[in-house]
Amino acid sequence: MAAPWWGQCRRLTNTIACTRYLELPRCFSGRAVCLSAPSWNFLPREERLPSTIQSQSGLVNFKFSLIRHKLRTLRPTHQTCCCRGTHSDAKLKDPFTLAQRDLTSLYDDIKKELFVSKDELKYLCDYYFDGKGKAIRPMIVVLMARALNIHSNRAGDLLPGQRVIAMISEMIHTASLVHDDVIDGSDKRRGKRTINEVWGEKKAILVGDFILSAATIALARIGNATVVKVLSQVIEDLVRGEFMQLGSKENENERFKHYLEKTFKKTASLIANSCKAVSILVNSDPDVHEIAYQYGRNVGIAFQLVDDVLDFTSGVGKLGKPAAADLKLGLATGPVLFACQQFPELHAMIMRRFSSKGDVDQAWQYVLQSDGVQQTSFLAQRYCQEAIRQVSMLRPSPERDALIVLTEMLLIRDK
Amino acid sequence: MFTATCSRLSGPGVRSRGRLAVSLFLGSGSSSWSKVVSDAEKIVGYPTSFMSLRCLLSDELSNVAMYVRKLVGSPHPLLSTARGFVYDSKNNLQMRGLIVLLLSKAAGPSQAASDLLPQDMVSGIYPSQRSLAEITELIHTAFLVHRGIVDLKQWTVSDGPLKDMQLGNKMAILSGDFLLANACTSLAQLNNTKVVEIISSAIGDLVQGIYYENYSYTEQENVHAGAVDIASWEEQTFLSHGALLAKSCQAAMELVKHNKESQRLAYKYGKHLSLGHKLNSDLQPFVKTKVGEPLSFSLSAAPVVFHRQIVGQERWRQELQQATTLRNQMDYPVLLAAVKSEKGVSSAMDLCCYHSNKALEAIRTFPSSEARSALENIASAITKF
Repeated sequence: MAAPWWGQCRRLTNTIACTRYLELPRCFSGRAVCLSAPSWNFLPREERLPSTIQSQSGLVNFKFSLIRHKLRTLRPTHQTCCCRGTHSDAKLKDPFTLAQRDLTSLYDDIKKELFVSKDELKYLCDYYFDGKGKAIRPMIVVLMARALNIHSNRAGDLLPGQRVIAMISEMIHTASLVHDDVIDGSDKRRGKRTINEVWGEKKAILVGDFILSAATIALARIGNATVVKVLSQVIEDLVRGEFMQLGSKENENERFKHYLEKTFKKTASLIANSCKAVSILVNSDPDVHEIAYQYGRNVGIAFQLVDDVLDFTSGVGKLGKPAAADLKLGLATGPVLFACQQFPELHAMIMRRFSSKGDVDQAWQYVLQSDGVQQTSFLAQRYCQEAIRQVSMLRPSPERDALIVLTEMLLIRDK
Repeated sequence: MFTATCSRLSGPGVRSRGRLAVSLFLGSGSSSWSKVVSDAEKIVGYPTSFMSLRCLLSDELSNVAMYVRKLVGSPHPLLSTARGFVYDSKNNLQMRGLIVLLLSKAAGPSQAASDLLPQDMVSGIYPSQRSLAEITELIHTAFLVHRGIVDLKQWTVSDGPLKDMQLGNKMAILSGDFLLANACTSLAQLNNTKVVEIISSAIGDLVQGIYYENYSYTEQENVHAGAVDIASWEEQTFLSHGALLAKSCQAAMELVKHNKESQRLAYKYGKHLSLGHKLNSDLQPFVKTKVGEPLSFSLSAAPVVFHRQIVGQERWRQELQQATTLRNQMDYPVLLAAVKSEKGVSSAMDLCCYHSNKALEAIRTFPSSEARSALENIASAITKF
């Protein structure tokens, strides 16, 4: 399953486990970052995080180097140092090894759910479940499920329903990718030609619809009406997020809020609600559901922010799509929105969705000249910190720690 | 016929609804049909225009409407589908919902579910059943929209600007997804995972049906000829036109804990009614001659499939050849005459009557009521040509 990426991350895990603190992303390499107060005001109230950074948000400008020592480790040490001692073996905390045992049959199970008698439709449904995806969502879900089970004094294996939710999370994700590729006119995905590219738009849409219907059947069979409600919310959020992507906001404050809300709906809602769903199956305490949800929500937003940064910093092909793909689609992501503060010229380009000749190149230049990339990475870090703070409230377990390590790894990935 | 209906219904609000329902069968047997439907609508109490205003008035769909305006004049199918929401008749909007409501009412109050109170019923129908009827319509409409996605690679410049097609596709995908997502969340609110499972499987059937809708008659023909027969036509038509209604009818029973037998019968009614309905509309070009309208029909229409089965692959190929003009166009009147010369049309009519009878049989054990009579009238109306 996704050997190269895993391999790379495994190496990273060991590094993290040994050094026990996060190596800062390359983009932070010693450069001074101007983080002005107004940028935090973009965040809606609930987005503001009660972290050490938040308390400094009153400063108009401060040098990144000043707070660097605080970022060196993302986890709140007072809560985790005790368990760190108990699991000295780095392997125990490797999220990939830990999750592997629950994920070995993931793709086979998904293919069994996609029951179709006709050959071509079956082939297309299975097309992206070839084991080459990162399966990051199922991984988070099974780790969260096990961490929650231990937290709830329930020893032993995953509950069957929790396993199904891991599977559903990947299915819903894939179904939305298939539709997104048609909407964006993409011709490549995970190193393959997209379904729309090879078989046409009409079939691609039906394949997406079919995967979604198979996912809802599996969901219904869990037999828990609350879980059904939680995950059907995801489907609605995905579509609403896609709609939000159609429009741009004139007002800058609103634009950033709009961006974060879109990010939540398009990426984080699936992770947050899947985590919540596995918690509902094992624990009746709403506070526990909230921890699971908040972890997923914060990790999900951070994950997408990093993705948006990589669109500017990653070499061609590393993400499986060309660089500046978002700009070419007319989308203004975090780095552009931050850059717009320094280069107001970007405003007009954002409004016309980079549609004039030369807009994409010009915007790209502005972003690289600005602190947009650094500020977005920094924002991603804050979401990661909050995710870690949330999950640290669960009882210590190898899986809980693996979620913490995974959160850190998501931040420093380069593909 | 419009005037006749409209004078029976009062006010402009019901006017469009009347029209939608009236021409369910593209004008066939319309006077008896319109009576059947308008009577039926009175029985379920509410107007059957579910297509929930909630969805139509949402920010998302008004956003789509804004973009779709740019497409006016382009040939993207989304336009005609969207037009259908307002006043078109071909798409049989709302009929599925009406039938779900009638069956709900015909089956009567729940005997088993203790949490369902008779006083919650409006016109003899539980609120959850009304939601279900709306969900059925949402799903049906979502797929009307998704059916109209255009394959861009097969689009040539002479057909029109590609940009319009891209925008049209984008809007069709988003609005279809939006309707489906709304159906999903409403479904979840019903608090019955069995119903979620039944309806989800109907969506799966529908997708398979649409995927292969024209497959066996075009692509497959080149690969292995002769695989078409009426049994596979029925199987295929059930998926694309019957499964949603059949399973929605079943779910309406499950929702209020009617027993397995009622569920089975409701399913059966929905299934046979849909098949009979499809046969009726497939038969239209063969039984009606509309002056001034160019004749056209699908090669997958039931009478054609019967005909192919009767005459055999070889003769069918010859007939197709004879009906193909020099410009590689189909001369439909010639083909029509060929089909009419054999028993294809009458076989399709027989099959239509068979399904109508099966539908009637399914509801025979339901207690006698005006809702049951309405269902009987609808099942009988599909055999009027």
